[in-house]
Amino acid sequence: MPHLVLDPHLVLDKVSIHYDGQAVPAVELVSIDVAKGDFVVLVGRSGCGKTSLLNVAAGLVAPARGRASINGKLITAPGSDRAVVFQNDALFPWLTARENVAFALRLRGIRPAERARRANELLELVKLTDAGDKRIWELSGGMRQRVGLARALAAEPEFLLLDEPLGALDALTRERMQTTLLDLWTASDVGVLMVTHGIEEALVLATRIVVLAPGPGRVVRSFEPGFSRRYASGEAIRTIKADPAFAAARGELTDAIFEGEAA
Amino acid sequence: MTVTSYTERPGHKIDEADGLSVPWSRPSPKRKGISARMVSAVTILVVLALWALSARLQLVSPVFLPSPAAVWNKFIVVARDGFVDATLLQHAVASLWRVFAALIAAIIVGVPVGLAIGISTVGRGIFDPLLEFLRPIPPLAYLPLVIIWFGIGEPSKILVITISMLAPVALSTASGVRGVSQERINAARSLGATRAQVVRHVILPSALPSILTGLRIALGAGWSTLVAAELVAATRGLGFMIQSAAQFLVTDVVVMGILVIAAIAFVLEFTIRRIERVLVPWAGRE
Repeated sequence: MPHLVLDPHLVLDKVSIHYDGQAVPAVELVSIDVAKGDFVVLVGRSGCGKTSLLNVAAGLVAPARGRASINGKLITAPGSDRAVVFQNDALFPWLTARENVAFALRLRGIRPAERARRANELLELVKLTDAGDKRIWELSGGMRQRVGLARALAAEPEFLLLDEPLGALDALTRERMQTTLLDLWTASDVGVLMVTHGIEEALVLATRIVVLAPGPGRVVRSFEPGFSRRYASGEAIRTIKADPAFAAARGELTDAIFEGEAA
Repeated sequence: MTVTSYTERPGHKIDEADGLSVPWSRPSPKRKGISARMVSAVTILVVLALWALSARLQLVSPVFLPSPAAVWNKFIVVARDGFVDATLLQHAVASLWRVFAALIAAIIVGVPVGLAIGISTVGRGIFDPLLEFLRPIPPLAYLPLVIIWFGIGEPSKILVITISMLAPVALSTASGVRGVSQERINAARSLGATRAQVVRHVILPSALPSILTGLRIALGAGWSTLVAAELVAATRGLGFMIQSAAQFLVTDVVVMGILVIAAIAFVLEFTIRRIERVLVPWAGRE
């Protein structure tokens, strides 16, 4: 698929992933294209290779066949143009929340004062203004994920790779974090590739949902639900979720995920 | 790895529920009656009493078993007037200096070696067999060789202590490095960290609790090697003091020296635990 290099794209092109010692490939011939400003969500049952695909995009796993590229450049290693947020936040406990956020800036040799200033801006963005001096173990699960998001954004990535970032959170915190994610996405126009188990979450967040099926992992359906665009243009999240169209989309997505389950 | 138990968390945090922090667990209500600490105190008192009693009843000749009072008096006398040309403090300082010089040498060599073992296959291939060879050899076995090679001066003594410290420092560092979570390393790399930056900013701090545990074990090992190192041509040091006293059958100085060595080891252990708590407050809280 040809595209202008000026227009940033994160592309997985006919990617197959094979882990040593496994007969069936984890993923076979999956193509996904994330443009800047897209919010692409991968859903599917366990073992469909969602996280493997995310790791290929991150440069942490090499595909057996096919290619992963960013802006036309082949992905061979991790890079700060694609910052990753993991399920188990992977924060650094020897640093305060602010120092965690500033980590990418420190790697680039930016001065402490400037670092702190930008980290504070990001903490404000994720609504953690007063938590900058806290130690990681003093933060709740939701706060940790906010710090993780801010830390990823500090690297000024073109794309955010989110590996079930809300998976470990309780239902209420999850819902709050969904709006935070949407706000960040709207404000920053990064492209997002996210893996989740949550059907409602996928519908709320995604501009496009890619449904994968296991054995070997492959794409079975692709949706463009459009609810996140409605949020971006000012509609309240409760109104969106109460819309009959939302319930219908939810049923359709659930069917797609469990399609072929019986087969 | 130091495991900080819940009850050791700062007391003023316990009742704070500000909605932001993870709530601290309440310390379990103290069971009425006996505590382990009380039992320990009683045990020590009983041992002291038995010692005093058997000395008083002259069950054993005072040449072999001086009374606690005699040992205590000796402690005062040696602290004030000295024994074999040096006061107790001078002996202790000489010993401590050797142990700490050796500790610094062991850190300078052992931590990079541990890093190499933990990070690279080649490093592990080179250093693992060497350390495994060195580790089980008692210091008294290589002491003569060290003296043949490096003479009877101060460097030999420090070297012997250093060798005994090397394995604990390097192996603890290596195990700390191997225990670093892959997700943390991946996170750092995806934030743009180079290999060197991953080592400096992620692996080293992650391994720090384990390294400090290694230093604690090393101090113990070094302190027990001390007496061996001071057997040869020392003119000062607690080990030397005990050795000289033994030659003249001055048993009260021998017993006093042993107790002083034990007391210093206890203080060192306590101090490094405090340092651990300050330097790696996150240990055991993840």
